[in-house]
Amino acid sequence: MTATVTSMAGKSTARYRTMTWVWRAVAVLFAAVTVFPVYWMVQSAFEPNSEITSLTPSFFPLHFTLHDFVDAIDHTAGVGTAYFWDDARNSLFVVGTAVIVTLVFSFMAAAAISRFRLVGTTAFLVMILVVQMVPGTAMLIPVYLLLNGLHLTDTYLGLILAYSASTLPFTVWALKGFVRGVPIELEEAAMVDGASRLGAFFRILLPLVLPGLISSGIFAFITAWNDFVVANVFMTENFRQTLPVWLYSFSTNTGTDYGGLMAGCTIMSLPVVIFFLIVQRRIVSGLTAGAVTG
Amino acid sequence: MAAPTLPNLAPTRTQRLVPTPPSEVRHNQTKGNWRRTARRQLLPLLLVLPALGLLGFMTLYPLGRLIATSFQNLGAFQLIQHKVQWNGLANYRSLFTSTELGTSVLQTFVFVTACVGLTMTIGTGVALLLRRIGNVLRIVVSVCMVLAWAMPTSASSVIWTWLFEQEYGVANDLLTQLGFHFTDHNWFGSEISAYSIIVANIVWGAVPFVAFMMYSSFTLVPRDLYEAAAIDGASPAATFRGVTMPIVRPIFVLMTVLSIIWDANVFNQVWYLTEGNAQMLNVIPLGVWQYIEAFSNNEYGLGAAVAVITILLLLAVTGYYIRIMVRTGQVKAAART
Repeated sequence: MTATVTSMAGKSTARYRTMTWVWRAVAVLFAAVTVFPVYWMVQSAFEPNSEITSLTPSFFPLHFTLHDFVDAIDHTAGVGTAYFWDDARNSLFVVGTAVIVTLVFSFMAAAAISRFRLVGTTAFLVMILVVQMVPGTAMLIPVYLLLNGLHLTDTYLGLILAYSASTLPFTVWALKGFVRGVPIELEEAAMVDGASRLGAFFRILLPLVLPGLISSGIFAFITAWNDFVVANVFMTENFRQTLPVWLYSFSTNTGTDYGGLMAGCTIMSLPVVIFFLIVQRRIVSGLTAGAVTG
Repeated sequence: MAAPTLPNLAPTRTQRLVPTPPSEVRHNQTKGNWRRTARRQLLPLLLVLPALGLLGFMTLYPLGRLIATSFQNLGAFQLIQHKVQWNGLANYRSLFTSTELGTSVLQTFVFVTACVGLTMTIGTGVALLLRRIGNVLRIVVSVCMVLAWAMPTSASSVIWTWLFEQEYGVANDLLTQLGFHFTDHNWFGSEISAYSIIVANIVWGAVPFVAFMMYSSFTLVPRDLYEAAAIDGASPAATFRGVTMPIVRPIFVLMTVLSIIWDANVFNQVWYLTEGNAQMLNVIPLGVWQYIEAFSNNEYGLGAAVAVITILLLLAVTGYYIRIMVRTGQVKAAART
């Protein structure tokens, strides 16, 4: 009995080992395919144009150059391409403000939902779920009509409102989970020591959910930073647009300047990649927690 | 750079396996005293109000207005003159009598199915793969995936256009070097081939998230269940079906539903990869179609009707999921905490 078990185990261990090597090879291949587009972006961004428009692409930049970045930032050839600095500033301002608005609003809502037995909380949460299911592009028409009627198109306020509203459902849902993770006793202790209810929220709860605020904030930042379609519809003036719109007009106006384009992509992606590396772990664990426990 | 990029799910596991901690039981008792001092509903209401107001103003009201607009004749003229011109079911009638709607719905269905199917299959496969490879390799694969995941869709679409560029693109060169004749191959010459690249771009960007989520959900499966399955002589496939899948199903379903919404909603990839000339593709997904009707043709009413149809189709799929969440008390449970 013992003999058969061990011999079976021995056989399957050998097979297991070979299979492990097969899986490792598959993993390496998968990693290479996954990272290749990113690698290609960076390498094209540092390549002179002569190498980019060569019929046999080289896999490393033979002559390292920063010329593509200058090209991307100072490009003046076509309409709407010379606005890199304007659009970068707009992106930072609009997205930054939207993130702050979203975070403040959703922290308050999450605290209220988690710490009080508020009438209609279930309805509010169902509404948030349903709203999240409505595709963003479908909301584009009515939101445009609404803001157009209020003369808020071509204003930063309109864009800020649109981004805050579109990220709010997720941040409320996520922050609710984070607030729940903080023991209520800590706030009770503060209140025993004389803090008000609101004071306990801002002095005790707020610092403790800071990690949650940071990761939800970065989620909101990435969503708004990546948006092209809303900014493209709402903002008609070149100097009021955002970086994705700039990238788009750059790509349609310059056509084949792929060096400059890849430099532009690199600049645009950099803040997102940095933020992403910071929070990636939290986004996943936060969502799985929500899926399993509600 | 953060060295180990693997998701850490320790808190989730405790939440799942450990019964309600005593602190939460007490929390419910003390809550009664709390509310009396906290002027009952006023403070929480004030706290929820800004979020509720923003959602009401920017989402709920527009949603109603979208439905209203779909029954109106709203073009550039009416928009400038601020005229409301109801035209009953005319928008829907013209949609349902045209052949475009049918093909667009079918195309969206095939497109979304391809994206979601590939994303979920590859994502789950990679998650399983991550368990079989060593720590070092796992970190390498994770870093690669995070980089792909983090790329903004607008940038990644431009990159994919460049990869598959006709003359100087690296894809044609690589394929030619591998012995296939792909020199000067125009990937955007036919719709099937153009959409294949759009799907590849979307799947490439979506797999990392699904893979990380599934990988971390696998850690929820108690190890002794695997041991029991191994003692019973279950094959790996049977173990996956009988042990792993039942436990990770909620996350798998959530990922599928989210992917359906995201992929039905795809805009940037289609728009950039066809260089803003989505009409060049004869068949376009619903999300792009309503954009073109509204903002290229200035037919806001018609665009709104397409959007309403899109929402209804999506709700038919995702409503099922929401209903399960409401019925199994997950929303109520979330409200109670």
